[in-house]
Amino acid sequence: MIGRTALSRRGVLLAVASAPLAVACTTPPPQPPPPDPLAELVRAARADSALASAVGANEVASARAEHAERLQAEVDRAAPAVPSASAAPSGTPPVSPPPNPTREQLVAALQAAQKQAGELLPSLPTHRAGLVGSVSAGCASLLEAMR
Amino acid sequence: MQPTTHDAVQDALAAEHAAVWTYGLVSAFLQQQAADVAEGANAHRARRDATERWLRDAGQQPEPPAPAYLPPEPVDSASSAVAALVVAENDACAAWRGVLERTDDAALRRTALDALTVSAVRATRWRKVAGLTPVSIAMPGAAG
Repeated sequence: MIGRTALSRRGVLLAVASAPLAVACTTPPPQPPPPDPLAELVRAARADSALASAVGANEVASARAEHAERLQAEVDRAAPAVPSASAAPSGTPPVSPPPNPTREQLVAALQAAQKQAGELLPSLPTHRAGLVGSVSAGCASLLEAMR
Repeated sequence: MQPTTHDAVQDALAAEHAAVWTYGLVSAFLQQQAADVAEGANAHRARRDATERWLRDAGQQPEPPAPAYLPPEPVDSASSAVAALVVAENDACAAWRGVLERTDDAALRRTALDALTVSAVRATRWRKVAGLTPVSIAMPGAAG
């Protein structure tokens, strides 16, 4: 069932990608494919990792880097053949932390990340729900580890 | 509701039965953490009961607990007791993540995320007591 969901998703993406060829002459250009909702989680995970490194929370830095990597892998898997402008390349440059970073900022960021992933969960297909659930629970674990 | 959802929830129930049993087993060795042991035991009992109710409401017969469970190593000390709790919580994480991967039902997903999260937090707490590093697991419930 998981496999079938992935296939049909790919089918949708293919259809979206090829639609402009058929209709370019007669209709206004169609909307580009919507950005992958997981991309926001990737951005947050990268930012948290940079912030954690800056305040010396190495365990958090490495866990949030792993979150970014796993989520990006799913984003790339879902849309491998659409090199559109909205899809960020995997090898994005490192994020720089805010000036004067603090552990309090990191705690707030992890709380926000836990909530962000949890709120996205109801809208996701099942093959993504486990991944995003683990990211959310992983952020809660990091908060417990920092106590 | 597809049968795989029911199977996943039965697996989660089995993990909750095992966790309840494990918290009972270890309590004698963890007098200093009595409050945390009681909190974990109560949470898993409540989760077990709620999971049994969910299955009955879905027309399923909840699987009963096993007569006994095999801890990863014999529990005869505080450290082996904590190790058994870490395993029980990790098993619960994996089982509830399995539910997330097998349902589109929003309410069940909320339940599964909550169960995954609180077990991951308790696993972290026990890993801290055991002095394990990293203290937390990056992707609770994920295989490997």
